[in-house]
Amino acid sequence: MAVIEASELRRTYRTTTGTIRRRRVEVEAVRGISFEVAEGELFGLLGPNGAGKTTTIKMLITLLVPTSGSARVLGHDVVREAGEVRRRVGYVFGGERGVYERLSALDNLRYFAELYGVPGREQKTRIAELLDLVGLTGREKERVEGYSRGMRQRLHIARGLLHDPPVLFLDEPTIGLDPVGARELRAMIATLAESGKTILLTTHYMFEADSLCDRIAVIAKGKIVAEGTPQQLKGGVAEGWVVEIEVYGIEDVVLDRLRAVPGVRAVAVEERDQAQLVVVQTDSGQELTHALLSRMDGAAVGRVSSREPTLEDAYVALVGES
Amino acid sequence: MTHVRVFFIGGYIAYRALFNWMHPSYYIPTMLGAPLFQILFFAYIGRYTGLKDDAFFVVGNAVQLSAMAGVYGMAMTIGGERWTQTLSPLLATPANRLALFLGRSLPLIANGMVTSVFAFGVGWWLLDFELAAESIPPLAAIVLVSAVACTAFGLLVGAIGLRARDVFFLANLAVFSLLLMCGVNIPLDAFPGWMEAISRALPLTHGIEAAREVAAGAGFADVDHLFWTELGIGVFYGAFAYALFRFFEADGRKRATLETM
Ligand SMILES: Nc1ncnc2c1ncn2[C@@H]1O[C@H](COP(=O)(O)OP(=O)(O)O)[C@@H](O)[C@H]1O
Ligand SMILES: [Mg+2]
Repeated sequence: MAVIEASELRRTYRTTTGTIRRRRVEVEAVRGISFEVAEGELFGLLGPNGAGKTTTIKMLITLLVPTSGSARVLGHDVVREAGEVRRRVGYVFGGERGVYERLSALDNLRYFAELYGVPGREQKTRIAELLDLVGLTGREKERVEGYSRGMRQRLHIARGLLHDPPVLFLDEPTIGLDPVGARELRAMIATLAESGKTILLTTHYMFEADSLCDRIAVIAKGKIVAEGTPQQLKGGVAEGWVVEIEVYGIEDVVLDRLRAVPGVRAVAVEERDQAQLVVVQTDSGQELTHALLSRMDGAAVGRVSSREPTLEDAYVALVGES
Repeated sequence: MTHVRVFFIGGYIAYRALFNWMHPSYYIPTMLGAPLFQILFFAYIGRYTGLKDDAFFVVGNAVQLSAMAGVYGMAMTIGGERWTQTLSPLLATPANRLALFLGRSLPLIANGMVTSVFAFGVGWWLLDFELAAESIPPLAAIVLVSAVACTAFGLLVGAIGLRARDVFFLANLAVFSLLLMCGVNIPLDAFPGWMEAISRALPLTHGIEAAREVAAGAGFADVDHLFWTELGIGVFYGAFAYALFRFFEADGRKRATLETM
């Protein structure tokens, strides 16, 4: 049985915009997504900002009711059996807020240990273990207001693990951390996964999903656009070929012309110092460089190169298509 | 057992988290400075205008002061959570909500009692206020029940804070309407009938009335109806606040109004 099952989850937000003429708008944040996460799996939800990752997690941890569809965690419905779900899941989100600034890390953990019903006689050892795991031992009596971003983040993790939940939800846990801190955190996540926890991780860093996750679902604009192991996702573009063309100024019409070339899968533009890099993904093995260049008359073309595709190309192609 | 721990231990930690009145340099002026001046202010207005004696103002303000921590404090327990963005983590726990939020009232009530003792002390020391020893136990009971009722009223303000953005504005409104309407410094018979009717439905009114009679020498048996009425009003506001809280919590999960995470 799957530990996390999401079935046709949808969530719309109703908000108003404008101060004088108020207008109601509906945002379709999650538009019918389904997936399953097996026991012990580290599952990644990979997508750009605004894709609907946080909304999905909020529904799974009972903070938001789905507009339609359903989800179960360890067999418990997230709406009807919210209490059962809350007892069994831990969650961690990236960001600095969400802890009591005027309390020490120790008191923050003590408080949430009470709320999660950790028995009094187990609290002391449990909290000490967790402080050790996240590397806050020795600093635990200091008030959180003096903590760095990385320390807060590690405190969030310790809090998420207080009741030793079998299922963990990590919402962009490394966001805003420096490279060293982020790497340490990823190592910690890998350790947690090895210890047998089922983990759902969201991220907008492709390499993070690649290095940590057993399986990835790419989410864009509220929909899952691809799902599989990192290898499978790479395989989707493996037979293709990538042509990179350096240009100095390019118009959208030219890009559209490139997209129309038979055999072209996706065209993206990356800004460089003085120039732009047009990244063209093409179908299996076809060498389209000439066809592409012939449609670029008028543009000042610099260096042209071609290479094998990476997972990043797969991701860009998937997110770009949606 | 879990609920009991959430109530007592959780309530105590949350109190420290939200107020941090543990450091004396902050605690003493906040808790004792303002009350001192409030009592003197109204007592001297009374003397100047010659309308009421010192005892009227000492008792009214001392009881009112015991209740203020409750109203502000309970409103803060939810308004403050919004501020620190801890509401989501809190509501993601399986903790019993009644124990979770009622537990926070206990330190506030204790806080109120200390303020009240101090306020009566100021009245005895600096003003013309005397209290017979045998009046102290019934007076303490009345102050306690008034603080409980006001804390329940504060919980209602706090519950509204789950939906309304600015709970502090509401808390100020609540505190000043209690100060005006509950007979703290103005006798109820000075009000038109409709205002008196509102006063009778608010916490504090019956507590202050009972406290004045006891301070003037009445026994508990003479004021027990006022005592029970005050308690009943407190229970009513507490139950209403809890129902409203659960409703806003459930509705917030539907409408995504709880907090951005
Ligand atoms: N409380 C909210 N009210 C209105 N719109 C929201 C709210 N939360 C998120 N959204 C919108 O829903 C979409 C998905 O947001 P989110 O789930 O936070 O994405 P992600 O976590 O992938 O960045 C975005 O367009 C965002 O602006
Ligand atoms: Mg997000």
